[in-house]
Amino acid sequence: MEGLVATGLIGISLGAQYALLALGFTLIFGILGVVNFAHGGFYVLGGYIAYATTTHLGAPYPVAVVIAALGTAGLGYVFERFLLERLVDDHLATLMLTLGLYLMMSSGILVVFGPESPSFEFPITGVLRGGGFYFPLQNLIVLAVCIVAIVTLYWLVYHTDFGRALRALADDRAVAAAQGLRPKLLFPLAFALATGLAGLTGALVTPILSLAPHIGDPVLATSFLIVILGGLGSVGGATVAAFIVGLIEAYSAVYLGGSKGALALFTLVLLMLVIRPSGLFGREARGA
Amino acid sequence: MSPSGHETLEVVGLSKRFGGLQVFQEISFTLPQGEVLGVIGPNGAGKTTLINVISGKLAPTAGRVLLGRREMTGQPLHAVSRAGIMRSFQQTNTFSTASVGENIARAITFSGGGSAAWQAITGMLDEFELAPRLDEQSDKLPYGLQKMLGLVLAFVTRPKVLLLDEPAAGLEGRERGRVDSFVRHAREELGCSVLIVEHDMDLIRRLCPNILVLDAGRLLASGPPAEVLARKDVIDAYVGAVEEEVA
Repeated sequence: MEGLVATGLIGISLGAQYALLALGFTLIFGILGVVNFAHGGFYVLGGYIAYATTTHLGAPYPVAVVIAALGTAGLGYVFERFLLERLVDDHLATLMLTLGLYLMMSSGILVVFGPESPSFEFPITGVLRGGGFYFPLQNLIVLAVCIVAIVTLYWLVYHTDFGRALRALADDRAVAAAQGLRPKLLFPLAFALATGLAGLTGALVTPILSLAPHIGDPVLATSFLIVILGGLGSVGGATVAAFIVGLIEAYSAVYLGGSKGALALFTLVLLMLVIRPSGLFGREARGA
Repeated sequence: MSPSGHETLEVVGLSKRFGGLQVFQEISFTLPQGEVLGVIGPNGAGKTTLINVISGKLAPTAGRVLLGRREMTGQPLHAVSRAGIMRSFQQTNTFSTASVGENIARAITFSGGGSAAWQAITGMLDEFELAPRLDEQSDKLPYGLQKMLGLVLAFVTRPKVLLLDEPAAGLEGRERGRVDSFVRHAREELGCSVLIVEHDMDLIRRLCPNILVLDAGRLLASGPPAEVLARKDVIDAYVGAVEEEVA
């Protein structure tokens, strides 16, 4: 019983991390119509920025996390504003551009930091024990930060003029522009918001899991999986699906073992594609 | 003709070409502030493209667009919209998955309006039967109401010039009076000039003291509708569509 609760808590904390990644991924798709193949790259970069800031500059870890989030957001902004924006309506071109950016990012990290995993540890250790459960403190902190970030993102998207503008651009770019919105101003900001979330997640999670130049691949795969499950472009769907995936991963890893666990997840997504191709909360196919 | 109001729309020698296809060429006209101008012509005459170019959606191949002597030529859509030239679409121009209320709120927010903008349209919302439907998703409305919502969205941005692309198309006969009413609201409450592209000749006669006739991308005729629609070349250009209307 204790194991069941503890595994559930791990699943929820995994789900919160996945939600931050998938929300960024789905925002970019929903608003720009771009599938960001570099999303995993921003996660890795966030991890390395946090690592370099604490190790080489001696900054405290929370400061490093903020710098990682801002750094990845800044790179996302520049990339969208000066490269992606020129070809934003060409699906094949944006695919090549984002994939190319990912390869450049992971190779760059490989050249600068080397192929080995650096030793990057979460500064707080310890386990929280309660009646019938135990939970690593570091996971609790990550969970708390993720939930604050998710709530902030929801507030931003659903309760501010900026969010209203982003939702309008996602619904109908032509109408929004005709009413005076400026896609060229808002697209880079939306992209930066999403990549900043990926960088934030990387900075928070890599000291617990692992940090290496290639770890962006599974992150991209998981983001894809969640977004398909939740429905492409759906913010609510991505959030719910992220927690479902986190819980399935946690329970299947404990009770089924590693490779069978992954199989369970892919089986679920496969079934979803057959039964409900638009996802849990997805709209019917759009022009993308 | 010298511009009288501050917000006169001047179109000077405007041409648009897509590769080898000349859509229209050398179109010039002036739309003084607060006046209504009709644009008619057979399908493919270049009417919608003209609106696309004036509104900044497409850049012209040659010529200029000025609003109150300010250069609009080649400015992007949002800048032209902010300057006060607002267009409606031939199809509906609403955010289809958002509610009627959210649609209006967005149009107000994006154009920098406040709660006063809501008050300005309460009468119109009642008149067009949109008031009881503010919570409905806009693409679930009957087509005629979707088009009226599109016009209201253009109105709340407080434009100086409205470009209406076939506002009556798809409306039932009894609904068409709402377009007249909308144009009256726009002129009286916003002091706005209106350019109407339309096939409904009765509507054009009712609303427009002056019209332009486009045919195959050229300005064929201009003047009061009674005069222009009686001309032989105009009737010939319009064989079929308008023949019975003007006969």
